[in-house]
Amino acid sequence: MPEAKTSGPLFRIFGVRTGSGRASPQRGAQAQRTADRELADLLGQVARGDLAAFDAVYDCVAASVFGVVRGVVRDRSQSEEVTQEVVIEVWRTASRFDRSKGSAMAWVTTIAHRRAIDRVRSEQKAAERELRTVTAAVPYDDVVDTVEANLDRERVRRCLGGLTELQRESVTLAYYGGYTYRQVAGLLGVPPGTVSTRMRDALIRLRDCLGVGR
Amino acid sequence: MRLRRTEPHTLAGAYAMHALNAADTKRFERHLVRCPECAAEIAEFGEVAARLAAAAAAQPPEALKERAMAAAARVRQLPPATGETGATRSAGQRPARLPRQSWAARLALAAASAGLVLATIFGLTASVEQNQISQDQLRSRQVAAVLTARDAVMLDAKVRTGGNAAVVMSRRERALVFAATGLRVLPRSMCYELWLIGPSGDTPAGMLPAPRQGRTGPVIASGLASGDRLGLTVEPAGGSRQPTSPMILELAL
Repeated sequence: MPEAKTSGPLFRIFGVRTGSGRASPQRGAQAQRTADRELADLLGQVARGDLAAFDAVYDCVAASVFGVVRGVVRDRSQSEEVTQEVVIEVWRTASRFDRSKGSAMAWVTTIAHRRAIDRVRSEQKAAERELRTVTAAVPYDDVVDTVEANLDRERVRRCLGGLTELQRESVTLAYYGGYTYRQVAGLLGVPPGTVSTRMRDALIRLRDCLGVGR
Repeated sequence: MRLRRTEPHTLAGAYAMHALNAADTKRFERHLVRCPECAAEIAEFGEVAARLAAAAAAQPPEALKERAMAAAARVRQLPPATGETGATRSAGQRPARLPRQSWAARLALAAASAGLVLATIFGLTASVEQNQISQDQLRSRQVAAVLTARDAVMLDAKVRTGGNAAVVMSRRERALVFAATGLRVLPRSMCYELWLIGPSGDTPAGMLPAPRQGRTGPVIASGLASGDRLGLTVEPAGGSRQPTSPMILELAL
């Protein structure tokens, strides 16, 4: 797999690849919306204390949650702890999910990312963590290997490939690495204002490329 | 740290990715209150983040599921937030903080509870503010007048047959702006019609245009009288003079 030029193994899975492009954003977005409606319905049942629905919600979200948490937290056993906290938070606060404000998956993954960030920022200054450890963000050993997950990865990879290098690095370091934009600026050796601007530009482009705008 | 030098709006991306430290977060949230577009943008970035998350999905160990399920069964769930079913007076929930704030601030505060359904209106108010909107897009200066009225109040509610409605009303302008997202798609032979429900009966207040990308409106309804309620029904295409089906939304104004 060709890799992003200077990032090395850092963003291996997201290396630029202009391939067959068979993952059409329209089709993907449609499938995503259907899946999300189902998840939102399930959350409604969970809000009423339905443990069977919670079981199904777990199956839908666990891999995304664990993937995000582990990218940020790094340590395996702590990642499992945080993942469990997130899942219980979903159970506890399901009644507060409001589908008019966004998708169910966005609600869950926001909780996951926030919790993971809180864990690392409370523990130590994240800047002290070495950059190379980001390499572990997306290891191959237990990456979920289903058709849907592969499509997701393919689409995200393609869209990340459409960003400039600085945009891509800003987003991946912030989201997968859990760094603040000031830390990202320090890591990349560019002014913080430049990073914040590129981050926003990148998200706007990803939004359009992934077809998740409203 | 030349904090002031960075345009606060550019922090929306970093904020959505939890990439702001405590001081920057505080600063951005002060901006957020005055930036309706930011709220909508951040929600969209949340959707992007969900896809980034899905792309990094990794299977947690089986045992984690058992532990989590067992733990959840012992955790008491939060009850639904009060006032979330049916109509809510979002703006009215913070009376103490409202009077001295601008209309944009009030809209942004309301956004916290009304959510994305308001993106349509937000986009519009932002454009109005920047004088970037054409007469055509506005449909009427009245829309701008309502959205920017000093006494503008925002309400939001669920539509019984699906979807969410947001209303910005001004008594001074005697008008309201209505927008909705996710309304159930109707066959061509039917349409949605708004009503002003007052002591003297139900007055037609306009038909909703066909949704575009899940968004309906904004449309303006004028001639608002004190004590009126807003209603929505499904009518035969072309509209009716009186409602011919039950209200699927009824909102005290």
